[in-house]
Amino acid sequence: MPDGATEPSDSTNPSSSTDRTDGTGQHTGRGPGRLLVAVYGLLALAATGRSILQISEYYSRAPVSYLLSALAALIYLVATIGLARGDRASVRLARVALSIELVGVLVVGAISYAVPDAFPDKTVWSHFGSGYGYVPLLLPVLGLWWIRHTRSA
Amino acid sequence: MLVPLTIGLLAVSAVLALIAGHHLVRRKVVDDLLIVVSAVIEVGLLATLVVGLARSGAITDGGERATFIAYLFTVLLVLPVTILIAIKERGQWAMGIMVSGALVVMILLGRLQQVWSPYA
Repeated sequence: MPDGATEPSDSTNPSSSTDRTDGTGQHTGRGPGRLLVAVYGLLALAATGRSILQISEYYSRAPVSYLLSALAALIYLVATIGLARGDRASVRLARVALSIELVGVLVVGAISYAVPDAFPDKTVWSHFGSGYGYVPLLLPVLGLWWIRHTRSA
Repeated sequence: MLVPLTIGLLAVSAVLALIAGHHLVRRKVVDDLLIVVSAVIEVGLLATLVVGLARSGAITDGGERATFIAYLFTVLLVLPVTILIAIKERGQWAMGIMVSGALVVMILLGRLQQVWSPYA
């Protein structure tokens, strides 16, 4: 795996024998970051698909939930692209997106337990993302840690 | 849905995850074996797509039917994308990505069955 110190392109990466390094200055979209980007992409796809369906098919049933789903989907898209691009500005944008996600999943998760009537239909974030195997709760934490890890010089 | 086909696909996907896990430990990269097993899964998924589309009319709820059809197409894309990413990533994490891809296929197959079962 690329140790990232010199940001080697994939084709020049000589061997796969190097294990985890200190990761300083590593690209957010390489190594374990690639897995993170893939999972983010999948979640973005799932959230976008679901929110398009919810808004087009039964918007009136739970407008707040569905608008929230759409917002979450948008933020996942931003985070995916930001992490995949990995330049300074993109990573900053990704960090903002991930922070909003973390706050969102915590606040909406808490509200959905405290006031169940507020969210009659599921969103990505309600019940701390239990409908998605708690991945929405785990991902922003992992993502923020990963950005910190790659940026700590 | 064809339950035997789904079970078979789950089994082969589990095998794919195991092979990728083995490669992960042995620090191997994407090889022919992984691609052949993935191709077998893809053929099965194509059959699932055909059967699923043919029978999707049985799902009366429009939203559920849309979800079902979306899953049918999405699950087909997972492994090709996974392999592409795994080939680009020439490190140990490539196999981590392959393991995840196989698990995602299994999850999506489970979701397909879940959406279908009330209408079976």
